[in-house]
Parts: sequence; C-alpha cells; structure tokens
Amino acid sequence: MPQQTNTTTRASLWPGLLTMILFVLVPYSYAAFTGTPQPETSGLARVHSAAESIYCVKGISPVTSILLIELAVLLIVVLWAWLKQGEPGGKTAVFHQHGWYLFTLALLIAIPFIIAWQTNSSPCTRGKAFFWQSIYIDVFILAILALSYNLMFGFTGVVSFGHAAFFGTGAYAVGLFMKHLEWPWWLAILASLLLGILIALIKGFVGLRIKGLYFALFTLAFAEVFFLLAGNRIMVNITGAEDGFTFTVPDWLNMTKNRLFFYYLTLTFLTLAFITIYRLMHSPTGSVLSALRDNEERAQMIGYNTFHFKLLAIVLAGIMATMAGILRGLALKGASPNVLGLDFTMNPLLMSIVGGVATFSGPVIGAFMLRLTEQLLRDSIITIGTLSLNIGDHWTLILGIIFILSVMAFPHGIVGTWLSKNLHTRNGWITLFQRPKTNKDTFVQSSHPPSSTKHKETS
Amino acid sequence: MTTTFDSSPALRTGALRQSLLISALFVVGLLVINLLFFPVGTVAVVLLSGLYQGMLFFLVAAGMSIVFGLLDVLNLAQGSFFMLGAYAGFAIYGALPEGTPTTVRFVAALVGATLAGGLLGGVVEIALLRPLYVRPIFQIVLTLGLATAIEEIVREIYGPAGLIPIEPPAALDTTFGVFGAQFETYRLFIIVVGFLLMVSVSLLLQRTRLGIIIRAGVQDSEMVEALGINVRRVFTLVFVLGTAVAALGGMTAAPFLGAYPTMGTQFLLTAIIVIVIGGMSSYEGTAIASILVGLTRATAEQLSLQYFNTPILASVSALVFMVIVLLVRPTGLFGRE
Repeated sequence: MPQQTNTTTRASLWPGLLTMILFVLVPYSYAAFTGTPQPETSGLARVHSAAESIYCVKGISPVTSILLIELAVLLIVVLWAWLKQGEPGGKTAVFHQHGWYLFTLALLIAIPFIIAWQTNSSPCTRGKAFFWQSIYIDVFILAILALSYNLMFGFTGVVSFGHAAFFGTGAYAVGLFMKHLEWPWWLAILASLLLGILIALIKGFVGLRIKGLYFALFTLAFAEVFFLLAGNRIMVNITGAEDGFTFTVPDWLNMTKNRLFFYYLTLTFLTLAFITIYRLMHSPTGSVLSALRDNEERAQMIGYNTFHFKLLAIVLAGIMATMAGILRGLALKGASPNVLGLDFTMNPLLMSIVGGVATFSGPVIGAFMLRLTEQLLRDSIITIGTLSLNIGDHWTLILGIIFILSVMAFPHGIVGTWLSKNLHTRNGWITLFQRPKTNKDTFVQSSHPPSSTKHKETS
Repeated sequence: MTTTFDSSPALRTGALRQSLLISALFVVGLLVINLLFFPVGTVAVVLLSGLYQGMLFFLVAAGMSIVFGLLDVLNLAQGSFFMLGAYAGFAIYGALPEGTPTTVRFVAALVGATLAGGLLGGVVEIALLRPLYVRPIFQIVLTLGLATAIEEIVREIYGPAGLIPIEPPAALDTTFGVFGAQFETYRLFIIVVGFLLMVSVSLLLQRTRLGIIIRAGVQDSEMVEALGINVRRVFTLVFVLGTAVAALGGMTAAPFLGAYPTMGTQFLLTAIIVIVIGGMSSYEGTAIASILVGLTRATAEQLSLQYFNTPILASVSALVFMVIVLLVRPTGLFGRE
C-alpha cells in the first residue's frame, strides 16, 4: 500500500459519525420534548414514551418533516462537496469522500417515516409501513451476508460455497441457546458468535491446508452436513427436524412488537459491517488480502504468511455471516433447515455478482435490488400472448436465469461496470474491451476490474 | 496446472502403490468393522449395497474428474445431468405405448437418457462455458447457477413431489439370497453396469489415441496444445461424454430411486466428496474413491440404522472420511502435488 495515497485520500470517519448521530438525535429529541408521556412510565422510559407519541402518528408527523429537511440539507452539502473536486484534505473531506454513503445511510434512517407518510399509516402499529419495515429488515440481513461473502470471494479470493453454514449456525444457535438452555439474550448471542468463530477456525485450519477449489468443495460439503443434521429426525426434540423450531425473545427484541427498533438494530449492524470491511480494505492488512487474491505466490514471496491473512478474512466473514444469521433467527423467532441450505450460499453470491464483486457497495446494492424486485413482482402476472406467468411462483427460476445471464454478460456487476466506465473515460476506451489475461494459477485475478479502480469508488 | 518434475515413472508407481495400499487397508478395516458388528448375511448385503452406491457415485464423478483435469473446469451441474437422465428415462418410458415389452421400453429409456444427457451437455459446454474461458472462476459459479436453474425447471414441469420408480425388466425385478439375506437383482445390475463403464472408460483412456491425448491433457494441457492438438475440442468431447455417463447413471438408478428434483444436489455432494478423496483429476483415484465412499456409507448406514434407527451417519461418515483424507493428504489419495 503506497503510504502517500493513504494520507491524502483517507478522511476521518468521525465527522460523518457525528453527522449521523445529529441526524437521529434532532428529530428524536424534538419528539421527546413535545410529546405527551404515558402515565405509568418514569425515567428514560417516560422520555421514550413521550417521543413515541409523536413519531407513531399516522401519515406525516413533525419527525418526518424534520428528517426530510435534514435529508435535503445533507443532499445539498454532499452535492456541493462532490462538485467541488480537489482539496480533499480540507474540512469537507468527509463529505467529499463518503458523502454518498452518508446520504444513503440517512435515507435508510428516514425510510420508515417516508413510507408511513406515503401510505398514510403509522410506523409503530400494523399497516403498510410496518410491513415494509420487515422487508427492509430482511434486505439488511441479506446485505450483511452478501458483504461478508464478498469479503471472502471478492476481496480475498477465497472461494467458498458453504456460507450458509455460518448463517444457519447463527440462526439455530441463538434460538437453541435461548430455548433449551434458557440463557439470557446477550449470553446466547455471544455464545452463537463464538460458535461462528469456532466454525470459521475449523474451516480455516482444515480447509486452508488445501488450495483453491478443494477449499470451495470442502466448504460446500461442510455446509451440507449441517443442513442434513438440522433436518434429520435424530434430534427432533431439540431442532424440530425439517419443521424447525420457534423460541421466545424478550419484548424489546421482539420484531412483531418492536419492529421499528429492530429495523434500526439491523441497520446498525449493516453499517458496522460496511465500515469494518471498508476500513479493513483500506488498511495495510486489506492490501495484503487483495494482493493474495491477485497473486498468492508473489505475496508469499514478499514474505507474508498468507495463511494467517486468509484465516483472518474467513474469521471476519464468519463473524458477520453468523451475526446476520443471529438477526434472522431473532427476527423470525425461530429457525428451520432452509437457513442452512444452498439458497443462502447462492443468494449472497448472486447479490455480490449482480452488485459488483470486490466493490464496497456492490453487495449491498445487489441485496436491495434482488430482494426488493422479488417483493415488488411477487403478485404480478405477466402475460405474453396466451402464456401468463406468475412471477412470485417462479422467482427461484428467474433468479437462476438472472444468475446465469449476469455471470455471462455482466461479470463486473452494477458498481464494477460503473467503475470501469469511470476508468475508461480517463484511460481511453481500450481498457473496457481489452481481453483480460488468462492465468489459470490466479483464477480470480482476471475477473475483477483493475485493482487501481477499487479505491476510486468513493470519488 | 503446474508442471510436474517429479513424475518420473518409478516415483509415480511408488506413490500409486502406496495409495493402493492405503485403500486396500481401508477396505480391510471396513470389512473387520462389519464382521464385528453384523452377521455374515448382513455383511454381504452391506458390501453389495456399498458397491452399488459407489457405482452410482462413480457415474456422476467420472465426468467431473476428467473434465476438471483437462481444463480446470469443475462442473457443479453434473448432479443435475444425473437427475435429468432419470427424468428423460421416465419421459421415454412413458412415451412408448403400453403394449411394448418392458425390456424394450427399459433399453430405449437407457439409450435415450444417455443421448439426451450428452446432447444437453454439448449445448451447455458450447453455449455457456466456452465464452467464459477468460474468467475461469466464473465457470464454476455458472455451473452452480445452472444446477439451481435446472432443478427449478424440472420442478416447474414435473412438480416438486417426484415420480414413482419405473418398472425394470422382469428378469431384473427379482431378489437372490446371499448367506441367508436377500438382495435385489436390480442393484446387482447397477453394479455390473458401473463396473463395465469403469473398465471401458479406463480402456478408452489407456488404449486409444483419444485416451492418450486426454491423459496428456490432464498432465499438462498447455504442452498438448503446443503440440498442435486442439485441447478445447477434446474438452468438449469429454464434457459431453461425462454428462452422458451421468445421465445414464441417473436412468440406471431410476427404477430404484425414482426421480425427484433434489436428487441432483444429493448425488453431486457425494460425487464432490469422491473426487476430492480421489485427488480431483485422477481417474483411477475417482474409481477407487467412489467404491471406498460407497462402502463407508453403506457401513455407516447399517450401523446407525441398527443403533439410532435413522440413516443419518451415512452422509456424515462420507464427510468425515473426506476431512481425514484431506488432513493426511491435502491433495487426495491419488492426487499429484
């Protein structure tokens, strides 16, 4: 990693974080001060119930207006910083570099209220806004999974077909710990995460002894055993075999009762995962990771112990995927064997490819696109001549076809294609049409946009 | 593919002999376990059903292994061809009029399924895999997507439930006794078919010009290309052969297992375990490993049926076997460094 580019292009995240805290605090404190608290409450709960009386209003509430105004201000600031290229070291550096990420985050924070305003329903009780929150929660969980998959597949070049093992373990473990051992929520989550790390370590220590494709196959078979075990009747009293099981969660974590809170909880974890990967890949460690993707032998030759770095990537990805699984388990208050199935390996893979492999925002965009498209097309019926197709019934098939098409024709995904377009406006048209060099030993190498574009995503 | 400098005949034979010895010891070990736990009749049935399972795994894995050896393409859709073979067999079997003798229908289904599998394999190779030679990892990703798509299409057409097994010819639809236990003749037929294919593919590889090219290509495809042979064309041929054999396997299994959408994934996973144990690109490795895995699974199945009343250990045992092999020999039993 050239040290020079580091210091000039990297802006501190603190101003951005501060902006986000203000973004949330302003409408919340407004609501807390003007609302009427519920009679039997006291302390912090009293403040919160006062705020609730404002932001749970049907349709447009003062909170919505404040959020919209804040969004507009943020958009202007970001646009201004974006147009004002140059002087990246200045005070506006954070908006110059991370502006669009910040704006997206702010938009996601405001979305429950915007939907409530548009559909004239309350964000806290049953209704359209409530329903869409659950869709977004699902999207966020899938996005975390896709991000963690991309860390392994895209950035480190470790091809794994067994990501569902982490996801499913998270969902199962947290439920089993809370149901059968009656552990409190924090202990259950912690233990599930530790279990995820343990699986990652086993995968790493056993699997990384073997190279390339062997590892991918190893993980595929590994995940399948989990799937078989979960669905088998041998432990029907514990796991509920193929029907799965349900468990109870504390009220404040209950998605049916406290959905808005759960929405922000998953959003927080998505943001955390994103920042972790972003910072990791901009650190010297991240450079080693992408170096060993591009040419592992060379990285070894320079003197890096590639095993340690791969292990790090697997453990980090494992933690994130397990966390996604835990969130899923808590959200559905149950788990069934399908969380361990091939679907939850294919989905993040597909989302990464559609969004853009080895880009930061690609997996998230992929998750949003695929899940929201599925939701929007769920009940629509397309009629071609005499043939009518219900999209929802055939969604898996359509996904498979999208998968094949995007692998064939669109390998860099949305973000990747956008970035290479950026590049060839600078370097001429040649780069886009250049056939990548075939090199069987470094098989991921040719599938990515040139690594120099990777850091340009923010500009 | 890295060039092997240590592949002098003496060293190769030495390593091969060692691997064979390990495999033989393993079989003896399994046999001892069997004899310790079961009566003789059960042991015979376990061995035969292990062989029968192993042959089915071999039919799926053989094509995968050679194809991988040639151009590093791992065909994860091979299991789907197995399933498609079964469905094609059903379609042909059902399409023939009721009056035709079962044997004719059965043979027609076998031949038809094989041809259909080969044809579809050719289409997939030419239309989907060829454009992707510049991005090798995406070929594997593509075949994984293809497997899902094929499974979904089959589910659309035939429904998720699966079809009831077809009737085999009357001559095969009997049982015979071994040491007092009964064994279906049809399973014996599968073992024979598998064994015949194993031998004929081996003869093809060892005794024909095409076989020499394939073996040389597995060893070092770039060198073969440099000698003026179109490895891509050979690859297409091998791919088609592999999918045809897998489809044949699916059809052979159909009178026993029926046909259902998820059978592709099921067999794919065990086939993967087989080729990893066998050493990815080694044909003899795949052949031996498939029998070893079959025997392991059959033994574990019998054990867990006897003690836990569920066949769960069967799938787990194959995986444990793979993990142990990988820990001891990271390149598989018969793999090259």
